[in-house]
Amino acid sequence: MTLLAELSPALERVRRRLLPLRRDQMMLLMAAVNLLFLGIDTYLAHSISGTIRPYEWIPIIFGPVAAVLLLAAGLIALRRRPLASATASIILLASIVVGLLGAYFHLRRALLPNAVPSEQISVDLLVWAPPILGPLTFSLTGLLGLSAAWVEEPPDSGILRLGRRRTLALPYSKTQAYFFMVSMGSLATVISSVLDHARTGFVNPWLWLPTGVGVFATVIAAYIGAIENRRRVDLIVYAGAMLLMIAVGVIGGVLHVLDDLTASGAFLLERFIRGAPFLAPLLFANMGSLGLFVLLGPEEAAA
Amino acid sequence: MGEMDAGSRLRPARLLIAGLVAVIIVLGLILIAQAVARSTTMAAEEGARPNALAGSSDECVACHRQATPGIVEQYGVSTMAAAKVVCRDCHEVSRGYPGAVEHEGSYVLGSPSAAMCQRCHGLEVAQYNASRHSLPAYVAVVGIEPLSDAQRALYQAVPEGSFAPDKMRHALYGIEGPAITRFACEDCHNIGKPAADGSVGQCQKCHLRHEFSLEQARKPETCNACHIGPDHPQWEIYQESPHGIAYATGGYRWNWEAEAGTLTVKDFPAATCAICHMSGFGTAGTTHDVGDRLTWYLFAPISQRRPSWQDNLIRMQGACRECHNEAFLEEFYTAADAAVEAVNERVRESDAVMEPLKQQGLLTAEPFDEPIDFKYFDLWHYWGRTAKFGVWMQGPDYTQWHGIYELLKDLSELKVMAAEKLEAAAAGN
Repeated sequence: MTLLAELSPALERVRRRLLPLRRDQMMLLMAAVNLLFLGIDTYLAHSISGTIRPYEWIPIIFGPVAAVLLLAAGLIALRRRPLASATASIILLASIVVGLLGAYFHLRRALLPNAVPSEQISVDLLVWAPPILGPLTFSLTGLLGLSAAWVEEPPDSGILRLGRRRTLALPYSKTQAYFFMVSMGSLATVISSVLDHARTGFVNPWLWLPTGVGVFATVIAAYIGAIENRRRVDLIVYAGAMLLMIAVGVIGGVLHVLDDLTASGAFLLERFIRGAPFLAPLLFANMGSLGLFVLLGPEEAAA
Repeated sequence: MGEMDAGSRLRPARLLIAGLVAVIIVLGLILIAQAVARSTTMAAEEGARPNALAGSSDECVACHRQATPGIVEQYGVSTMAAAKVVCRDCHEVSRGYPGAVEHEGSYVLGSPSAAMCQRCHGLEVAQYNASRHSLPAYVAVVGIEPLSDAQRALYQAVPEGSFAPDKMRHALYGIEGPAITRFACEDCHNIGKPAADGSVGQCQKCHLRHEFSLEQARKPETCNACHIGPDHPQWEIYQESPHGIAYATGGYRWNWEAEAGTLTVKDFPAATCAICHMSGFGTAGTTHDVGDRLTWYLFAPISQRRPSWQDNLIRMQGACRECHNEAFLEEFYTAADAAVEAVNERVRESDAVMEPLKQQGLLTAEPFDEPIDFKYFDLWHYWGRTAKFGVWMQGPDYTQWHGIYELLKDLSELKVMAAEKLEAAAAGN
């Protein structure tokens, strides 16, 4: 029985009729979409200075290329699942590396190693530096995709089938791992949002909405990942938190676009590149969607 | 039994992961709380910037901390230093690089050229090269003579260059001589001086070394360094204008460090020099081409429309519209255009006064060697320009008493001087 069925049998029936993909397939599809948008978002972010340095092109190029390769791996999986899993694993491992390298570069940029010790790192520096957690989205996507690429057998056991004979026993089931990843992803999203919004001094009351919802989703996802026996009410609260994340993402996207338009409603590219990042709020919606997709499992078999 | 074994074997790993997740969440929440708390108190502590070079053992820094400590202090608190741009990035060049000097075992440019800035700020330098601040500023005093072929082509591609493609050295520049011009004309007009490496301009004229502060570059006092005095008193006119009054009385509250390209009336509730001519504001995009929104060659004795002035007008009004409505702009532009034509008419009248003297050879061959030369020059160069600038920048006293009034006075005196010359010539004949 899937978590969605536990939450609402009616919803599960609808899902079976309308969504032919399994949870892991959805996760891999989301990983590909995420990598594509991460590439675009990174291009916009790196364009702000007006100059994109050679190494700044790495995530920009990697994002769409990895997305296309992942989709190709998805097609290969229809005939040769092991080859597809191996291909996807290489791409997703590379995504983890790209994310970690990016986080390192961003963190290095934020530190002042030659300042007096008390000023070498501060909240202000983190606020104004390139987003340290931003590149880790590549890593999270890589981790999420890797988890999806390998089959868990039996479902919800935490035992991954790595080949025909080899298995790997993990401390937590795939479902729990997904919950933790959603929690960590939500935390990274809310921290990025707070650091970005801190530049404005939180004078706009709307800015408390993503902060509150993000923290709530982080805690709920971690809690539901840690407990063994989930009750229906737990799932309802969790699903509610994820729906709130999606709502925050959509509202935030609209507000950012409105902020980027001029007072007369005119579109000016410069304002979209250097102003409120219009793709950033969608990360909330992205995490909310991923969180909901977790409920599609743990069964591997489609209806 | 085997499953139980696996379960107990993995128990520590589970605890470890759960613990790590809890620690990360708690640390994350603390960071969130700190960021929120800091952001709400940040305004109060603005100005206290960390010095990125305080503990630096870099050899440039260590030596210059003794030799030129002011520069090291300025650079230490700059955003460039915080961005890990080091002295060598801007100063160090290869051996044989034009203008390079040997310095402590390496080769440096004492004053980095625009080519060095261009390595990171390509768009800004390209926009600047197309502007009046580029070669036209330099050519206005020295003429096109010293320019290379490539620089001439660049100059003539700029609107001001196409207006006067074969500009000669300014006569006063020659008369005054280098002992004076070094501290006079060149101080401002070198903003467009080519460097030894062929690149054009001195970015540091506006972006003072070594802090490279956004606030400093944006404040009208920076433009005041050159745009002051009788030939182009924009600073004085701005102070008199409603925009300048708003700046003088409330500018301390404005958001001078706002991210470029995101400025709104919340950051700048009234216009500054930069807002009208350079900043991304309203529907006008950020530019380093200061002529990008202008409709007239106001500097010229008789002003003409600039090439593509209709496009420029749309850009300028895109900024104006943040505060002014369509009716205001329509009325203002129509009236200001008419005022420019009116000043043009007076200058044409002065030309007509001078014409018979030129035709009859009653002026000396040398410029600026008799009073009538100065009178004729002052008439448009001081008073005509001032009146036009006063009109567009809304400085009534400069349009009236420091502008058209002085022009009329000089015109009447010019007529007397010309008549005297003509009478003397007639008597001589």
